[in-house]
Amino acid sequence: MMNRRNFIYSVGMAGMSLPFLDSASAVTPDPKAKSVINIFLSGGLSQFDSFNVEVDPAVIGKSEIIDSNVGGVRVSHYFPTLAQHMDKLLVINSMKSNQGAHPAGVYKMLTSYDPRSSVTHPELGAWVSKQLTSELDSLPNFVSIGKGSAGTAGFFPGQWAALPVKSTKSGIDFVNRNPEVQDEQFQKRLGILGTLNQDFDKQYSTKDTRAYVDTYEGSLRFMNSSDIDAFELGKENQQIVRLYDKQEFSQRCMLAGRLVERGVRFVKVELGGWDYHDNIYGDFPANASRLDKGLAALLEHLDQKGLLETTLVVGSTEFGRKPDVNPNRGRDHHPDGFTCLMAGAGVKAGEVYGTTTKDGKAAADNVLEVPDFNATVAWALGIDPACEEKSASGRPFTLANRGVARKELFT
Amino acid sequence: MIRIALLLLTMHATLGFAMCQAEEIQQHSDQIDQVVQARLAGDGQERRPEIDDYTFCRRVYLDAIGRIPTVDELDAFIRDVGPDKRSRLIGELLESKGYQSHWYNYWADLLRVKYVGDKLHHPGNYGQWIKEALRTNKPYDQMVHELVNAGGPLYKPGNGATGFYAREPMPLDHLANSVKTFLGLSIECAQCHDHPFDVWTQKDFYKLAAFTSRTYLRVDPTPDLEKDYALDRRKLKNKDFDEWIVFRESVRVKHAAIHGNGTGFMRLPHDYQYDDGKPFEVVQADVLFGKMPALNHSVTKDKLDTLGRKNVGPPINSRESLADWIVSDENPLFTKAIVNRLWHQVMGTELVGPLGNLSVDEMGPHPELTEQLIAVMKDCRYDLRRFLSVLFNSKTYQSKAIALNPKESGYVLDGPVVRRISAEAIVDSFLSLQTATPDQFVPTEFQWDGFTHFYDKSQSMGVKDFVNYSVKGPGRGAFQRREENAARRRNGQSGPKHLWRVSCYGHVDGSHDIAMLLGKSDRELIDGGNREPNIPQILFLMNGQLEQQIIKQPSVYIQQKIKGAKDPQDRMEIIWKAILGRLPRESEKGLASHNADDLIWALLNSNEFRFTK
Repeated sequence: MMNRRNFIYSVGMAGMSLPFLDSASAVTPDPKAKSVINIFLSGGLSQFDSFNVEVDPAVIGKSEIIDSNVGGVRVSHYFPTLAQHMDKLLVINSMKSNQGAHPAGVYKMLTSYDPRSSVTHPELGAWVSKQLTSELDSLPNFVSIGKGSAGTAGFFPGQWAALPVKSTKSGIDFVNRNPEVQDEQFQKRLGILGTLNQDFDKQYSTKDTRAYVDTYEGSLRFMNSSDIDAFELGKENQQIVRLYDKQEFSQRCMLAGRLVERGVRFVKVELGGWDYHDNIYGDFPANASRLDKGLAALLEHLDQKGLLETTLVVGSTEFGRKPDVNPNRGRDHHPDGFTCLMAGAGVKAGEVYGTTTKDGKAAADNVLEVPDFNATVAWALGIDPACEEKSASGRPFTLANRGVARKELFT
Repeated sequence: MIRIALLLLTMHATLGFAMCQAEEIQQHSDQIDQVVQARLAGDGQERRPEIDDYTFCRRVYLDAIGRIPTVDELDAFIRDVGPDKRSRLIGELLESKGYQSHWYNYWADLLRVKYVGDKLHHPGNYGQWIKEALRTNKPYDQMVHELVNAGGPLYKPGNGATGFYAREPMPLDHLANSVKTFLGLSIECAQCHDHPFDVWTQKDFYKLAAFTSRTYLRVDPTPDLEKDYALDRRKLKNKDFDEWIVFRESVRVKHAAIHGNGTGFMRLPHDYQYDDGKPFEVVQADVLFGKMPALNHSVTKDKLDTLGRKNVGPPINSRESLADWIVSDENPLFTKAIVNRLWHQVMGTELVGPLGNLSVDEMGPHPELTEQLIAVMKDCRYDLRRFLSVLFNSKTYQSKAIALNPKESGYVLDGPVVRRISAEAIVDSFLSLQTATPDQFVPTEFQWDGFTHFYDKSQSMGVKDFVNYSVKGPGRGAFQRREENAARRRNGQSGPKHLWRVSCYGHVDGSHDIAMLLGKSDRELIDGGNREPNIPQILFLMNGQLEQQIIKQPSVYIQQKIKGAKDPQDRMEIIWKAILGRLPRESEKGLASHNADDLIWALLNSNEFRFTK
């Protein structure tokens, strides 16, 4: 009988002849972080209307600049709640990407590689899951909440792809029995299925047919698992629930917090819609408010549970927006100097790292390129950013594509 | 009178031709069986037993048209008493709309028909080109030649082969993928350095790339035409975002094109690190192996080396020569690669080696069989339907499937292996339970592409017409939808979407949520589909909408069939035939007392349903 706590692992491995965690040596014993929550702001967050406000006034547009709870750190007035949490956040204003279109930019940010048509690269979350998954884990170590890109395993076997949760309301797709099928009937069906599969197995048993039988077993255990309630927000205690408003993004943040509490290593939370080519000041405030409230509540949530010390919270985006507002009152794509956030796990909270030129056109001091950013996240989890895996055709790839961890971002 | 005589004569000739073709096909099938038999005899093995009509029917439906037969289709085949009923069924299936639908999934995945956002490449015309090639049964060598050599307007009706070049953002990637797709050769490593475990050097790669140099996709009008549009484009940009976008996109539909067709020269990269060349040095086009086609160079390498670093000489149409070399009868990999692919599709194993990683001299575990199949493909003149017909008509194909396990030895490619059916075939097989006519809504004249539709209109449009079209026009989101709907109406009735085959879904990139869950390729990579289980997939099969759509849906085909059942045994027989394509075994008859919905659920979740044997 399989131990409940190792079923995900076994199911993942079912039918695979993979070496077990062959690169475990790439993991250091005493990492800064146990888990990462990556809040991914797809579409391209406007840095000048959020956290990079110490630039020429002409660049700022309609944002007003307000003080935060950290002396000398100012933010846009669209983020009044986070302004009171800046003591927990590290702002990185010197991000740089080489990709200026959405699909390629997102791909680069999530994988550290430029998109190529001969190979797909695993997302950082898949690397983390592959490196850190152990037999003791009860839940998958890479969960992707929200629509957006699903969390691809690239050239890794499919088991390392993210478990998708499209929305907190629907939860994991199909994880519950059809409401019109009672438990007794469901068991009866499983009985018939078992008979049929055993019969088939007598003549036609292969690695692939056995993998299916194993995965059914694993899926049933997953359906019946007591860990599944990690995905049920109704089970959260009221003190935590009250920290959040009812908007979907905030609920996603709460779910991410619950998953991290259960030991999930990498949770991606999607908040899209930042691609304001036109009418930015009409549309941006509502989305900014979502981020402002949801992220602030998450930081509070993790803090109250004592998880902030071991959880690296990342706010990232594929690129920023241009310093000039275009004739359609929007801002166009700008990969040469944008802004990301980090919190928890010993980052230098309350500080601002890197700058752009005053005209906002380019990252200036302490430029942080995308692979370096991802290398830093991996390093914080104790994973060597240079650890290597081979694609199906035997080509070697490293986690961070030659990126180097910027250890100075941590205390 | 004369007319009737002529007609009779023509009919007779056609019939004679058909007979003759059937005989030829059977001859080829027999040749394959003989080669297989000789090997079995040499190894002291028996030929595997022949499959019964039920197993044959299900297998050939899945392999030829990508879905299981309906109960009526199965019954009709079983009732047929003609001696040649198997070969007749093969012929009918290969001529049917189902063939086009099923093999479109295959080719669109291999050729990676997908929207490429960065380049504004809408792949509708590309997809249509493939569908048309299947409909008219274009010979494979001609297909490949057209794809490799395609040029001109992207959205011109009939010119969709250009989509193959437009698919790739980078020319060197495109070359590596072409070679992998059509020659089964993996040379992508040599793009950046000598291949670490094969013979190809970086220089070899650049010599091959020289055939395609200066081929490029340009979505905007060429500079000479561009200036006519510039003023209005600027005006619109400062006036209204949506109008500007529609103007830009609609002009692009008219002008997007593949330009250039190779100069036969290339420059080594700036970081070239080997002794046999210097960075930026000119290399002259050369093939990887085999006979080099003649090129009409008007300058020499030495002359070019004295010129600027970017100069690779004048266009000489060398890309066409590359296409000639790829599809040449003498190319040792071209025929072998496609034979390897089709054998893999039909039998479930590699004939020669990995689909995208063959080597020039490799002939696989049964070289005589490989040789025979190459000869058959050449005899068929790359007629894919005919080649498939040869395979399906062979005893080798019609023998009992083997459950192949890695450590077992002794398998000599003497028949199909047990394998999971493709994601699309699983989804399309649900249709065989929902309707008596699962192929009804496969359009025969695939004309659903909005951009291709608009291209026709755009031919008579000048600058001012584009302005008028854009101002207070459809808006950027609706632009394509509007044209698409117009194109669709041209195509006649398309039926409710839930009765479409997967091949008709989002013809932009074949997106279909359930098929994706079951492992359909996202068309990023060659051979990108997978047939592995995962938890979300199994949760769908157990708890998903099949319950409402089939298992408990009284109006669907299978439920209507069940209604006519006389007793529980009869009901059970219908369910077994519908889902597993066979009669219940004696040992299973005890299950007849279960509810129909429980039986349907169990069968749909069973390995026997999703594996072909």
